[in-house]
Amino acid sequence: MNENAKMNQVEVSPDPSRRKFLNTAALAGLAGAGLSVGLSACNKESAPAPAAGTAPAAAPKAVASGSDLKLHMAPGELDTYYGIWSGGHSGECRILGLPSGREIKRIPTFNIDCMSGWGITNESKKVIGTRANGELKYKTGDTHHIHGSYTDGTYDGKYFWVNDKIHGRLGRIRGDVFECDAITELPNIQGFHGIFSDKRDPVDPAINHTTRVFCGNEFHIPQPNDGRDLDDPTLYYCLFTCVDADTMQVRWQCKVDGNMDLVATSYDGRFACSNQYNTEGGARYEDMMSAEMDACVFFDVARIEQAIKDGKSFTVGTSKVPVVDGTKAANTDPKTALTAYVPVPKNPHGVNASPDGKYMICSGKLSPTCTVIEVSKVADFFDGKLDDIRKSVVSEVEVGLGPLHTTYDGRGNAFTTLFLDSQIVKWNIDAAIKFYEGDKNVQYVVDRIDVHYQPGHISSDMGETKEAGGQFLAVGCKFSKDRFLPVGPMHPENEQLIDIRGEKMVLLADHPVHPEPHDFVIVKREIIKTKQVGNLADHPLSLKDAKESGVFRDGNKVTVRIASQAPAYSLREFEVKLGDEVTIILTNLDKIEDLTHGWAIPKYDINFTVNPLETKSVTFTADKPGVFWCYCTHFCHALHLEMRTRMLVRP
Amino acid sequence: MKPLSALRGVALAALLAIAPLLPQAASAQTAYEANLPPEVNTAPALCNYVPCSEVLPGATSFSERKGQPPYVEGYSEENGERKLVGYVVLSTDVTDTPAYSGKPVITLIGLTPEGNFAGIKILKHSEPILLLGIPESALTEFNDQYLGKFVGANIEIGRSRPEEDMIGLDAISGATVTVIAQNQVMMMSGAAVGRQVGILEATVRPQATFVDRGRTLDWATLVEEGLVQRLTVKPEQVGLKRDKEPFIDLWFGYLNHPEVGRAIMGDTGWRDLMGRIKEGEHALFVIRAGGKESFKGSGFVRGGIYDRVQLRQGQDVFTFRDLDYLPLWGVQAQGAPSFTESAIFIVHSSSFSGAFPWKFIFLGNRVDRETGARTFLNFDREYWLPAAYLEGGRPVVTKPDAPWVRVWKTRAVEIVLFSILLVGVGAVYAMRDRLTRMSTRKNKWPIDGFKYAAWIISIFFIGFYLMAQPSITQVLTWFHALLFQWKWELFLTDPFIFLFWIFIIVTVFLWGRGLFCGWLCPFGSLSELLYKVGSKLGLKRFQFMLPMKWHNRLKWVKYFVFFGLLAVSVLSMGLAEKLAEVEPFKTTFLVGLLNRSWPYTLFAAGLLGLSIFTERPFCKYLCPLGAALAMPSTFRWFGLKRKQECDTCKACAVGCGSLAIDDKGRIDHRECMLCLDCMVMYTDEHACPPLAKERKRRTKAGLPLTPIGKDGYYIPIKPVAPAAPRA
Repeated sequence: MNENAKMNQVEVSPDPSRRKFLNTAALAGLAGAGLSVGLSACNKESAPAPAAGTAPAAAPKAVASGSDLKLHMAPGELDTYYGIWSGGHSGECRILGLPSGREIKRIPTFNIDCMSGWGITNESKKVIGTRANGELKYKTGDTHHIHGSYTDGTYDGKYFWVNDKIHGRLGRIRGDVFECDAITELPNIQGFHGIFSDKRDPVDPAINHTTRVFCGNEFHIPQPNDGRDLDDPTLYYCLFTCVDADTMQVRWQCKVDGNMDLVATSYDGRFACSNQYNTEGGARYEDMMSAEMDACVFFDVARIEQAIKDGKSFTVGTSKVPVVDGTKAANTDPKTALTAYVPVPKNPHGVNASPDGKYMICSGKLSPTCTVIEVSKVADFFDGKLDDIRKSVVSEVEVGLGPLHTTYDGRGNAFTTLFLDSQIVKWNIDAAIKFYEGDKNVQYVVDRIDVHYQPGHISSDMGETKEAGGQFLAVGCKFSKDRFLPVGPMHPENEQLIDIRGEKMVLLADHPVHPEPHDFVIVKREIIKTKQVGNLADHPLSLKDAKESGVFRDGNKVTVRIASQAPAYSLREFEVKLGDEVTIILTNLDKIEDLTHGWAIPKYDINFTVNPLETKSVTFTADKPGVFWCYCTHFCHALHLEMRTRMLVRP
Repeated sequence: MKPLSALRGVALAALLAIAPLLPQAASAQTAYEANLPPEVNTAPALCNYVPCSEVLPGATSFSERKGQPPYVEGYSEENGERKLVGYVVLSTDVTDTPAYSGKPVITLIGLTPEGNFAGIKILKHSEPILLLGIPESALTEFNDQYLGKFVGANIEIGRSRPEEDMIGLDAISGATVTVIAQNQVMMMSGAAVGRQVGILEATVRPQATFVDRGRTLDWATLVEEGLVQRLTVKPEQVGLKRDKEPFIDLWFGYLNHPEVGRAIMGDTGWRDLMGRIKEGEHALFVIRAGGKESFKGSGFVRGGIYDRVQLRQGQDVFTFRDLDYLPLWGVQAQGAPSFTESAIFIVHSSSFSGAFPWKFIFLGNRVDRETGARTFLNFDREYWLPAAYLEGGRPVVTKPDAPWVRVWKTRAVEIVLFSILLVGVGAVYAMRDRLTRMSTRKNKWPIDGFKYAAWIISIFFIGFYLMAQPSITQVLTWFHALLFQWKWELFLTDPFIFLFWIFIIVTVFLWGRGLFCGWLCPFGSLSELLYKVGSKLGLKRFQFMLPMKWHNRLKWVKYFVFFGLLAVSVLSMGLAEKLAEVEPFKTTFLVGLLNRSWPYTLFAAGLLGLSIFTERPFCKYLCPLGAALAMPSTFRWFGLKRKQECDTCKACAVGCGSLAIDDKGRIDHRECMLCLDCMVMYTDEHACPPLAKERKRRTKAGLPLTPIGKDGYYIPIKPVAPAAPRA
């Protein structure tokens, strides 16, 4: 592997035969031959099989002892990190325990979940959003990027935000219950891609925690998108959006040139930035790749907000959100500019802030390079101290084919996923800067490792904070192919875990995940502080006592108030009339942690769960006469099966 | 059925067949070893299984068990309205304070809403003394003394002391241990409910101000300074096979102290924790460094309560529920042991204070390997922050005396008098040689004066007043305590019996059982006194002794009685206690001849009556305690003296009231009551035949009568040898 890295540094040009080589090298790497012998990796042909043969004793041990990072949690033993995962077009988020990789929780967010009743209960519908007829506005979602709230440059465990790319919505997940508590639809957005929370207030230096969430917009559309300008893509444009972290209201938007995908924020709170492709403004992919350079656009948040204060904003369509003009044409004077476009080669993908707060690193995607932008120089540009914004690029070095995303170990190294190479490259930022400055003897690539297969996002423990731990990283491989028991044409994704404590990376584990997580963050367990049970006062309609149960009629609107206390519901039966609009309010009065109850009504397509001291409600029309046994779907008690009640719908 | 258990079954059946012959045992429904349904201990609806309404008059419905320790609320129905009429608590929900039997007296206690005792019912007890002898009603009467009294009052056994605000209760004569335990149970149970429902104010302890020297403590320092404490339970302590690996090995400590908290959790972690708990709340950590038993168990999953750990500070018990738990992610202190289970528990009460000592309690249970029966056991370890860690040092804490200490204090005068008596008798006997020389067969007063005085004191002071008549049941209890669990407290609770037994054990091995049996046993004294009085009252002609032939056969009966009781006690202590009624002691002294049912009175009176006509019939032939003491008497250090002529001379044997001298003149120390008659003879030159003969010889020969030596002979006259002529 060592040699491999050195070879690659000179041999970075695309070569169709490389893929074949990489497959063999991957196996060699797995066998640990590269680590123990150091030579076999160069021997492309003989690498896979003999690796075990030439060093029979050492090789298998090398794998086992390649890392002493403990993956297997003994019974009762807890993981040391929370992995906060997006779920892709499953529309959900997930919590994994790391480093074991055990899935602990799924957080329904933009999807519908018949376990928890997300999208079924009135409370969840209200969060997701409904049409006039009470039905859900959207039933689909595509979560990509998930990032947490910060205090003093590191996670505070309060919130996590996730995007829905399909419908342009931002969801918020409470870190104390790991449930979605708010969803905001961004106006005039299609293809809401990157998000990032700010790390401190860009305006008030006294506020050293997250106050805003920034949202990148990938698909440019006519503004407003009401049927106008369909045939003239040159009139389409994108809006960069700022959402208030507390109220989840959209604060402002900024019109930009080009398409944005990922978003990053600076540690000093001044800048949000988003890497851009299709600065060409093309509508077809060949047009989107025509220019040699795209950009990473930087937003001076304070200036934008001052501009809005100064009335230099407009609105789009029916949206009342103030929009400022951040196009190049409108921001020619750096000293007053709201935005600055740092040129970055060809369709870059991720942009990631280094834990020391100094750099933003854009991955080239179609360019085999990573571009290192020094944040202080961007600031210099905005302050008029730098004549050319491109001079903020302090390094642009080749790392491999298809670089997408970068994470950090907090020791000056960057880890970039190479989609096409199906590798992770570890490279040293300072060395890369020296190399770029002209010292061609510097070897900035430290190590490479094959991953399986085609990696996308990458994230190390606390890697997005100033407390980057440098213990291990997770990489989301988009293809798993042969890595798990075959289950038919649809394959899971493969999340791999890599030990990054040493100079060499060590591949630790494969974990199948239901498609398709994109991004994730890895948070020290000490940071997360969860609630153990709910609070009756949190729901205005909760039953404080089982005695408040009953059927309350107002015309044909019937409210059924029920409490659950293992192993019974407070009403043994309840009666409604055919045609009634029935609202069932269920409070779980059990106070014991983990004593969750369920509530299902056969034939009425209702099921949800209620955690201790929580309240949920559903509304439906009693359109089928008869007896309907409502029962507890969530195992609660030795008499769980007996926990049921009759809904009598009298014709 | 295995042969052994079959045998046991047969033996039990046989014994039970005899049992009905004992009138009282078979008659009334008693709480003795009553069979309680197992639900009593656990069922939420306590009152479905026990007669709650009997202890809470007026209550018609009851709540489920609530609170910790649990109690129930009782309601009456008035005009369709539910009204709280009081509370009921099951004593064993609060405390397992053992009574004399080593098992708790399971008591159901009713309290009025104001906190007065409303009713008390014994559901189950294992007290042998209440089985026979003292009627169970005595305990009921004892309990009735609590009715109407406030749970917060200072109630003690003994005289009321208004000046100390102390309410005294009359004890049950002869069952002091039982009532002392019962008082503790009553007061603890009442207070446990009282504190929860607000009748009693919670103890408010001033909160600690910590000294923070800002150091980073390593584990060794934490251990050395007592800032973390260890609680280890061995397998054998819970009835499992002895093993090197502990059953559970826990470390715990108080996290509110900044130096301890930081050492365990690191600065950030500790700050987070302190930010998470409220003012006046407390956090402690627990880790399991060894053993396989879990301190969390699984009870908290369903019931939400951690049922294996709790804290106690003074009378306050703090338990933890699931929401009082926080995960402990690791122990930062250098050198900390690795652990396999951990927790942070939060005490949500300001009556807890880190300045005062507290105990961490692990609640285990002991499984009887043969029967599978579980008994609950608490293991605890005290924790008290060292003075250097508290601003102003440790506060002064007055711990209430243990019950046995209180008994010793309240009866100090009697204890001193009793001790003087015991030492005095020992001293008198130690001077027996001088006293016997002063006595003659005609005038034994130098000995008898002391002995008769001892008898009188023994009968009235020890027997009737102190009720300190030793009994075979104590031997059986010790035997069991030795086999199972020795608790000094149990024996110390009765100071007179305790001291008496020290005296008995010492004297038996020094001189044989006779000093106790013949001089100080209240019943024995009474028995022989009756014989002596009878003789003086002119009944001498009716008095008799059994022929030696019969005596030598019957004297073995007492050994059979003893071993019979011992054997039965292995099968059933209760039955052995019943059969121990072969001792008339209880009837004579503890309860009184007139207070027992006629068979007992007849038995005791019969033995005493017989005593008038023959010396100590019970002691000679029946007394199992005598038998138990007779065996070690074989190994007494100092025996009585004999001389050569005793082989053939029958003079002593004829006068021996104990029939302890056989036809060869040997004294059987197992039978001897140490009356010392033979020792008086030994030096009496007119009574002892060999001496008399020598006296006559010397008188005839005109030889001087030299003093009698230690060997019981005149000191021989040895002519002084003439000085050897020098060569």
